[in-house]
Amino acid sequence: MDEATFTRHAEAYAGRLYAVAYRLLRNRADAEDAVQRTLLKAFAARAAYAPQWAVSTWLYRVLSNVCIDELRRRRPPPEPSPTGGGHHAPRVEPMDLARALDRVPREARLLLALHYVNGLSYRELAKIRGISVNTVKSQLARGKTILRKALGD
Amino acid sequence: MDRMDTALREFFGDAVVLGGRAHRLVPRLVGGPVTLEKLAGRFRIEATDRGVTRLYPGRGVLAESARARRHAAQAVEELGEYLAGRRAFFSVDVDLAGVAPFQARVLAEAGRIPFGETESYAELARRIGRPRAARAVGNALGANPVPVIVPCHRVIRGDGSWGHYAFGGEMKTRLLALERATPALVGCASTRIVCRRGCPHEQRVGEANRVVFASVPDARSVGYRPCRACRPDAAA
Repeated sequence: MDEATFTRHAEAYAGRLYAVAYRLLRNRADAEDAVQRTLLKAFAARAAYAPQWAVSTWLYRVLSNVCIDELRRRRPPPEPSPTGGGHHAPRVEPMDLARALDRVPREARLLLALHYVNGLSYRELAKIRGISVNTVKSQLARGKTILRKALGD
Repeated sequence: MDRMDTALREFFGDAVVLGGRAHRLVPRLVGGPVTLEKLAGRFRIEATDRGVTRLYPGRGVLAESARARRHAAQAVEELGEYLAGRRAFFSVDVDLAGVAPFQARVLAEAGRIPFGETESYAELARRIGRPRAARAVGNALGANPVPVIVPCHRVIRGDGSWGHYAFGGEMKTRLLALERATPALVGCASTRIVCRRGCPHEQRVGEANRVVFASVPDARSVGYRPCRACRPDAAA
C-alpha cells in the first residue's frame, strides 16, 4: 500500500477509531494517543498489509491491540464497595454502566466497544481479533452477564 | 434485544463528535521520518526566572514571568539556529534546581563535551569521580530534562553504539551527524578574530571573510585571537 492510499484510509477511519478508543479509554488524551499510535504502527507495517483483509479490519485490529496494551498498563480498578445492590432502576444510568464496564475483562470489553460503537458484526469482530465467531458470541454474552450482575439486574 | 442491549447501544452510540479533529489525528506520515528542520519548533519549553527547566516534544512555552519568557524565547531561537547548523553552542541559562545532585553533576559534565565530539558513559563516570557508575550516568542522562541544550546525545556507549535516546536513535544519529557537518569555529579574515559558531559576532562575518578552523590553537597559529564574547578558548 503506498503512502497516499494509506493516508486516505487513515483519514477515513480516524473518526471511527477514535470513537472506539474513547469509549474504551474514557478520556480524550488517551484516545487521541491511541489513534495516533495505531496509525503510526499501521503505517510502519503497511508493507505487511495483506489485501485479503479489509482495511478497516486491519486498522481495528491494530487499534484493539493498542487499546488492550493501554488498559493492561492501567491499574485494575478498585473493587467497588457493595452498595445495597438489587434495587431496580427503571433505566441503566450511563455512569453506572461506565463503572460496571470496568469489571468486564478487557477482551470482552473491547468486543463490546467494537460491536456497539461501530456496529461491527460478529464475523468482523472474529476477524479483527483472530478468534472464532463462537468465541466472539460467548465473550459478548459473558460481558453482558457481568454487566447485568454489576448493575443488579 | 433486551434492556442491556438498549443501554449499551445508547452508551456506546452516544456520538463522539470528532469533526475536523480526525484529520489532525492522522499524523504527518507522508514525507518520512521527522527531520531536523521539522523538529525545530516542535519543542515545548518550560522556564523559570533562572533559566530553562524542561524541554520536550510539543509546542509552545510555559513561563510565568517576563524574565522566564525571555529565557524561553532565547532557547527557541538558539535551538532553531542549532538545528539549522548555524550554532555550535548554547548560551541560554539552564535551571537545574529541581534535579538531584548526582544527576546535576552528570548533566554539567555532559555539557562540557565539545560540539561535534562524543564520549562514552564510562568516561563520563570517570570524570565525575565515580568510575563504576556508568549505568547510573546513563540513567541520569536518560532523564535529562533539557535534551539538546544539555547535550546528552554526545554520550554514547563504550562499544561505539548509540545507546538509548529519548527522541529515538535516529534523532541521535541526525544530531551527531549535524554536529560533525557543522564547523564549530569561524574566523573573520578582516578582524582576525575566531568565534564559536552562533556567536553574535560570528553571525555578522561576511561570506567573503569567513574562515573555518578545526581548533583554537589552529586559529592562533595563523594569527587569530579568540573572541571575548563567546570565548572559544574557554569552551574546551
